[in-house]
Amino acid sequence: MWMDLAIKAGLAVVMMLIVINIAGIHSWVERKQSAVIQDRWGANRAGFTLNSPLWRWLNPLLRPIIYLGLFQPIADLLKLVAKENWSPVGGMKWLHAVAPFLYLLFAFAGFAAIPFGDTLHVAGRDIALQVASLNVGFVFIFAMAGLGVYGIVLSGVSSNNNYAFLGAVRGVSQMISYEVTLGATVIGIVMVYGSLDMQEIVRGQGALLWGWLPKWGVFVQPLGCILFFTAALAETKRIPFDLPEGESEIIGYFTEYSGTKFGMFLLADFVETVMVAALTTTLFFGGWQFPYLQASGFVFPWGAEVAVGHYAVVAIQVVSFLVKVIAFCWLLMTIRWTLPRFRYDQLMDLGWKRMLPVSLANIALTGLVILLIEAL
Amino acid sequence: MEAVARKPGTVTPAGGVKRGPLTFWERVYVVEAARGVWITTVHFFRNMGYHFLHLVGLAKGRQAAVTVQYPEERRYLPPRSRTRHRIVRRDDGSPRCVGCMMCETICPARCIYIVAEEDPDPNIEKRPKRFDIDLGMCVFCGFCVEACPEDAIRMDTQMVDLAAYSRRGMILTLDQLLAGEPAGPVESINALGERVHG
Amino acid sequence: MPKLTIDGREVEVAPGTTLIEAARRLAIHIPHYCYHRGLSIAGNCRMCLVEVEGVPKMMIACHTQAADGMVVHTDNDKCREYRAAILEFILVNHPLDCPVCDQAGECKLQNYYMEHGTAGSRVDEDKVKKRAKAKQIGPNIMLDSERCILCSRCVRFTDEITHTHELGITERADHSEITLAPGAWLDNRYAGCVVDLCPVGALTDRDFRFKCRVWYLTAVDSICTGCARGCNITIHVNRDRPHKAGGTRVMRYKPRENPAVNQWWMCDAGRYSYKQIDHERVDSAAVDGRPVAVEQALDASAAALKRAAAAVAVLCATTATNEELFLARALFAGALGGHAAYLAPPQGEQDDLLLLADQSPNTRGAQEILGTEVRDPVGWVKAHGVKAVVVVGEADLTGLKAEVDHLTVIATHPGKAAAQAHVLLPGSVHAEVEGTFTNHAGRVQRLRVAVPPIRGAVETWRLLLELAGRLGHPFDFAFEDDIFAALASQLAPFAGLSHDNLGRRGALLGSGAPQPTEVV
Repeated sequence: MWMDLAIKAGLAVVMMLIVINIAGIHSWVERKQSAVIQDRWGANRAGFTLNSPLWRWLNPLLRPIIYLGLFQPIADLLKLVAKENWSPVGGMKWLHAVAPFLYLLFAFAGFAAIPFGDTLHVAGRDIALQVASLNVGFVFIFAMAGLGVYGIVLSGVSSNNNYAFLGAVRGVSQMISYEVTLGATVIGIVMVYGSLDMQEIVRGQGALLWGWLPKWGVFVQPLGCILFFTAALAETKRIPFDLPEGESEIIGYFTEYSGTKFGMFLLADFVETVMVAALTTTLFFGGWQFPYLQASGFVFPWGAEVAVGHYAVVAIQVVSFLVKVIAFCWLLMTIRWTLPRFRYDQLMDLGWKRMLPVSLANIALTGLVILLIEAL
Repeated sequence: MEAVARKPGTVTPAGGVKRGPLTFWERVYVVEAARGVWITTVHFFRNMGYHFLHLVGLAKGRQAAVTVQYPEERRYLPPRSRTRHRIVRRDDGSPRCVGCMMCETICPARCIYIVAEEDPDPNIEKRPKRFDIDLGMCVFCGFCVEACPEDAIRMDTQMVDLAAYSRRGMILTLDQLLAGEPAGPVESINALGERVHG
Repeated sequence: MPKLTIDGREVEVAPGTTLIEAARRLAIHIPHYCYHRGLSIAGNCRMCLVEVEGVPKMMIACHTQAADGMVVHTDNDKCREYRAAILEFILVNHPLDCPVCDQAGECKLQNYYMEHGTAGSRVDEDKVKKRAKAKQIGPNIMLDSERCILCSRCVRFTDEITHTHELGITERADHSEITLAPGAWLDNRYAGCVVDLCPVGALTDRDFRFKCRVWYLTAVDSICTGCARGCNITIHVNRDRPHKAGGTRVMRYKPRENPAVNQWWMCDAGRYSYKQIDHERVDSAAVDGRPVAVEQALDASAAALKRAAAAVAVLCATTATNEELFLARALFAGALGGHAAYLAPPQGEQDDLLLLADQSPNTRGAQEILGTEVRDPVGWVKAHGVKAVVVVGEADLTGLKAEVDHLTVIATHPGKAAAQAHVLLPGSVHAEVEGTFTNHAGRVQRLRVAVPPIRGAVETWRLLLELAGRLGHPFDFAFEDDIFAALASQLAPFAGLSHDNLGRRGALLGSGAPQPTEVV
């Protein structure tokens, strides 16, 4: 029992570290990628040189790190931490302090249900590479995402600032609007794979269609994939859906935050981006599945087989999952630096008048197809 | 026919651009968004590739970014741009200024402070004992240069990065003004454009 | 009485009047350099050429006497053409010195060139260099012969006004220059006036040299405090550029024309007396030598004066204005029932032009207002049984402190009086207040505020008002002219006078409205 607890705790720590690191690197990517896209240099100055004769040889190694701006996130962090921990006059001090914690907590919590590998057999134990093996993982994730609204509401309400309050109202209405579509698109996936358990959904995607095409969500639910991705993008409240908090142009719910608490909102934003990437991967791009990789090794459609050891298989699965997640993070970032912001009425139109009907139609269509296939 | 005229937009006689209604695929948005993502992706990989090549010393001739890396790299400002002042010296090194206070008088920001004194040479007669310019107040209008009857004050140092840790530090004294040098051979703005844009 | 027409306007003038004076009657300004109303007519600059109908050549307005039926044109094309030509001649050898020349800004060459000059000179030859560029010719005077246009005003001044004959013109033609007479040194008492007379920058004042540009200066009408003559002056103040001359506010005095007092002149002693305005002033109140706020010092003074009850007296120096003297009298002799007197003014040299032996500007005023002159303050205090004394201004009060319980001094400069004081109050000098002085001849003349009281000081009349308030006898005076109005209503010689009707020239005592039949 203690062993199980230790394993779960270990998994949680691993997951946490993965997510926090990817999210942290986002602050660098956000700077550097945007710069490179726009033919600029981006961060290339933060850093230090060593003057001690003992360590001087390290300088040539530091140079490319500085050149690529990799010290910039550290500098950013130091700046945020060093800033005054300020709370607005007349605000609700306690709630104001709690809001970013709640927001970040719920952003993290969802990852518990995300599987990042198949079951690992080691020392006679079966370890599911998933922090919480929930058979309603799906619902759990959506519940957490839904609770994230409280962070926004509290930050807006406790700031004693009408702009922050209005920003929170915009944020909440946007999240609620798009959660509907988000849920509706996932129904298709649930119908196809017949489970609410994330691990089961991923396993279902290991099958092959017509003997050669991996049965990934994107192939069986292409429309659902696009709708889901769009709705999830809106859930992260990033460009082009950043109306609740439009950087310098629109005053939003964390206007009255500075220093570490502001940094937590920033981090939570990146964590949500990773969440969207992980969800898209899990639901539509096979999760930890690698094409044609079975538990015993590679089984290719033309009949060839390559035996691979169990640990190697698990390793390939985990790496496969991570690569997919990072690729989606990159795509999300690219979209953020490509598209212009929607107007608020366009945002609402898109959510309620376009995406919701289409996603409902998608459910009906999926059901029809499933019925047809079963009937045949 | 109409579709051809519509894209990328008809320029009206008044100079505006008239755009027609969106096509179906444009209205779907997803395709256009994907095209946009493609453009940014191409930029990203091309520029990032050059950055990495530069890091290992390759492809130095190709630019990864158009940004001028100030302060290591400096654009030459057009020769007539007004930058930090200097006081011109005579051949013997003494200031050419005779303390006539024309610049002090014309200065709309009142940032010039001159105190004159007797010059030992009766043919020069008058020289500045104190000549301070408070750059914290200067508006860089160049009136002082225009007003000077001796061509003693110029604004051609090309120095624009003027900063100090105190208001006091923004005040240039006569010695500092005399230490100013004219900027070197001035690259034309066109040559700069060629260098940046290839 | 000749009646003539100038620029289409008729004017009737006294026989012998010159055209330039006749034109002045019509407010027509004829440009000129050598002509000066206080000096003889030289007629050498030719700038004042005007056209007289029927006369083939142009006539100099400064030396042509008006005749009946004359028709004169001062501003037609011919006149302007001649002026431009004359200016071109004058400028042939004039150096382009304006950047270093102190006269720039008040230079008649500059002004007339802008008004009448041609664009450029047609003379290609090098300018004639004189022997020395800037040469000292007197303790306060610099001469630059190259700038000189040889109008001879300065020579005539030393010949006709001071009769000292230091200056002359030597050499020929374009080598002519102003020269000191052999062995002479331009050090007469009125030497500074040649700087005022010089229409260009040839003669400049060594004291003012390079201190400040003249266009930074604000001119305020005032009265010289050097002697009882009360010469009319303008105080030139540098208000906006405190970095000049080490923060000195008053840059110079210039004489102001007043035919009844000083004509156009003033002596050097008066001219350079401006320095005391900004030099070593009392800038803080003190009680027993300890610096305190003015309010505290006033409280201390008032408390001591209250203790002395009616055994109080005020002793005013004759540098105080009429207003201050009257306030002192009204408070101490009137409200408090004590004594008010003035201290005998210091005596100095005198001459037959302007300078008087009485070195105070307002002795006559003190005579009229306070009446009693005190030569021996100690003896006077003893004789009247005074316990507490207020002294306004500077005086030798040696031994007075020992004779009284309390001595308050309102001083402007640290001196013998200030050193004696129990309570020292920082007062104002004449340039810092509105007010009036009465000169030796009984002419009441106005002072105007040139500068605010120097940092730390308070107007003397305001200090007296504050003191009165603290002693339980508040006066209802808001400004200096209120005090003068009260003075005029209470003292017969001042009756009918007011700050407003004194004008720029002042008015003699008793020249106001008909004196009241009942003297209060």
